[in-house]
Amino acid sequence: MLAPDLVLLIEDDPHIRELIVSALECDSYKLITAGTAARGMHEAVQQKPQLLLLDLGLPDRDGLEFIRDFRGWSSIPILVISARTQESQVVAALDAGADDYLTKPFGVSELLARVRAQLRRAPVQHQESTPLIQFGDFTINCVTREVLKGGQLLHLSQIEYRLLQALAANPGRVMTHRQLLVQVWGGQASANHEYLRVYVGHLRQKIEATPGKPRHILTEIGVGYRFQL
Amino acid sequence: MTFASAVINNRFLGYVLTAIGVVSGSLLISPFRELLDLSNIALLYVLGVVAVGVKFGRGPAIFCGLAGSLAFAFVFVPPHFSLAITEWQNFLTALIMLIVALIVGHMTAELHAYTEAVEERAFRSSALNDVAQELAGQETTGDVEQATLKFFINTMYAIEPEFLTPDQFDQQSSPLTGALISKCLEQQHMVTKPSFKEGQSFVILPLVASTGVQAVLQFTVTTEAVESRSYCELAETVASFVAVVLERAHFAEMARSNELKSTAQNLRLTILSSLSHDIRTPLTSLVGMADVLMMGRNLAAEKQASLLSSMRSQALSIRQLVSNLLDMAQLQSGKVELNMVWQPVEEVIGATLKQAADITCDRDVDLRIEDGLPPLRFDAVLIERALWNLVENACKYSPEQTQIRITASRQGEFVDVTVSDRGPGLPPGKEENIFGLFQRGNPESCIPGAGLGLAIARDIAVAHRGQLFANNREGGGSSFHLLLPIQSPPVFQPEE
Repeated sequence: MLAPDLVLLIEDDPHIRELIVSALECDSYKLITAGTAARGMHEAVQQKPQLLLLDLGLPDRDGLEFIRDFRGWSSIPILVISARTQESQVVAALDAGADDYLTKPFGVSELLARVRAQLRRAPVQHQESTPLIQFGDFTINCVTREVLKGGQLLHLSQIEYRLLQALAANPGRVMTHRQLLVQVWGGQASANHEYLRVYVGHLRQKIEATPGKPRHILTEIGVGYRFQL
Repeated sequence: MTFASAVINNRFLGYVLTAIGVVSGSLLISPFRELLDLSNIALLYVLGVVAVGVKFGRGPAIFCGLAGSLAFAFVFVPPHFSLAITEWQNFLTALIMLIVALIVGHMTAELHAYTEAVEERAFRSSALNDVAQELAGQETTGDVEQATLKFFINTMYAIEPEFLTPDQFDQQSSPLTGALISKCLEQQHMVTKPSFKEGQSFVILPLVASTGVQAVLQFTVTTEAVESRSYCELAETVASFVAVVLERAHFAEMARSNELKSTAQNLRLTILSSLSHDIRTPLTSLVGMADVLMMGRNLAAEKQASLLSSMRSQALSIRQLVSNLLDMAQLQSGKVELNMVWQPVEEVIGATLKQAADITCDRDVDLRIEDGLPPLRFDAVLIERALWNLVENACKYSPEQTQIRITASRQGEFVDVTVSDRGPGLPPGKEENIFGLFQRGNPESCIPGAGLGLAIARDIAVAHRGQLFANNREGGGSSFHLLLPIQSPPVFQPEE
């Protein structure tokens, strides 16, 4: 039997804290909690958790700053919790190195799904990455830069290929517009959101059965895209 | 000659050029003096005087007449290269030439000055006309200030013009001094003082309208310009005009903010009355049910489960209501900044359906998006909220298991996103009422809701210069049309 995953929760509201703790303990995770950023940082150093749940509105410190500091020495997944109508903060947190986000009010099932996804993803990063990415009946060969759809070669332009590869290499993870722009177009392009949306549209036409109800390239409104295998 | 060249015109240039012209002209003609009659040569000088009068005005013209007479006497009247005039006839020629030259020069210069004045007036009135047109279109004080600064830089050659509102009068910095401002306000006229830079003056111009001083405008310009009467007149005319426009914009802003305040006041009242009813009731039952659960040791397990599930649904409906109230308050406060981005409309429809998965449940959602729709410019977060509200509305007011159809198609200048249901439809003639705040199709309906969702959706549509309206659907049910304007998208560079 594996030891239960250790999750560090930094949240100042006691009710939300209790809710998250009970929900996660029901799913047999072990939790450490902290009400302030300072306490949280201390616990993170001491206990070496496998996942960090971080509320963005902490009383003693700016959440973004915390993430930047934390990323300086740890690479464990960070799941940020934000209030609604804070899309720009969420984007900033993701750009600063957070891995995913939950918006209050969130459901328990959503919380558990996100936690599970982050913990599942974590060890994969240490494995040898394979040059093949598979999803649906598609196969991306990162060496030959070819995409096969059910064995048939799918024609993609340079940019479409790079975009698909960037998305599919991070399944389940939300990628901000900026992160994708930088990966696909390089550093200078990060202001041209329109380009990204147009190419995502093209890509959906080519790989989604119903582009209006995408199965693989999901839109996170105001934030970015999430790829689903 | 225009206003601009008058400003930069150098007075001495005329005299110097005239002198050079007289000398070189005399030397040029001197070889032909045997061929030309003396009186014809005199006429050539008169012609020169006319030309100088046209070009440089009275002073140089008179100077030309005098210099020309001397040159004539010196070069052409025998004995040559001497000022002596031996023949009475020749003396008369020279004298008449001088008199004619002076009169013609004077008249030409007069005419020239007159033409210049007319041209200048035309220039001024066209400049005034331009600035008036420009200013008339401005709504806010900020825009008026911008347009005025632009005018002073482009047309009045002002360097670093800047507005100073009355509340900034006591925090001036050099070269502006309190004394200068109070002098300017006292005289209600333009005040100037020499600038640090040679040839430049520092100017402050009061903007006075009927309700008092609106602001002062400070700038630097060439000293020559401020010495020109017409420049000062134009500056002051524009200033008084700007003052009136500023005053008007100021009042308009005040009216707008008052209107906003009273709307906010109304909203607060409606929210309060809604809160007391729509939130207090479910909260009462929520607390009650929690009490029952805490006390009831011998409550049957299925009874407990049913209490818990109804607590959950009550809490969810309060949550929905509160988030709608917050959305509404935010939209109505006018503080929402639209994050307008070009994007395909199907993207936001897809995201909405994903968000709405728990309310559409296992209903059949029929999605029809027309091919080749142009990208639109909108705030994805808000449009998603508007569409979500429409989908939620459709689910709430139509029987379970009936189909919901979402279509997107081009309708003239708009893309029409329609959410249709197979519910009871709308009472005829009341298609508009349902969009009012806290308005519901049937006020006594047992379906939870406070009548906010559609009002929010409409506010969002209007904020995007779009429309939201509803009509009854053929074959039963209602359709809600969200119209978003098609604009010309930025030129999209194809991939190399």
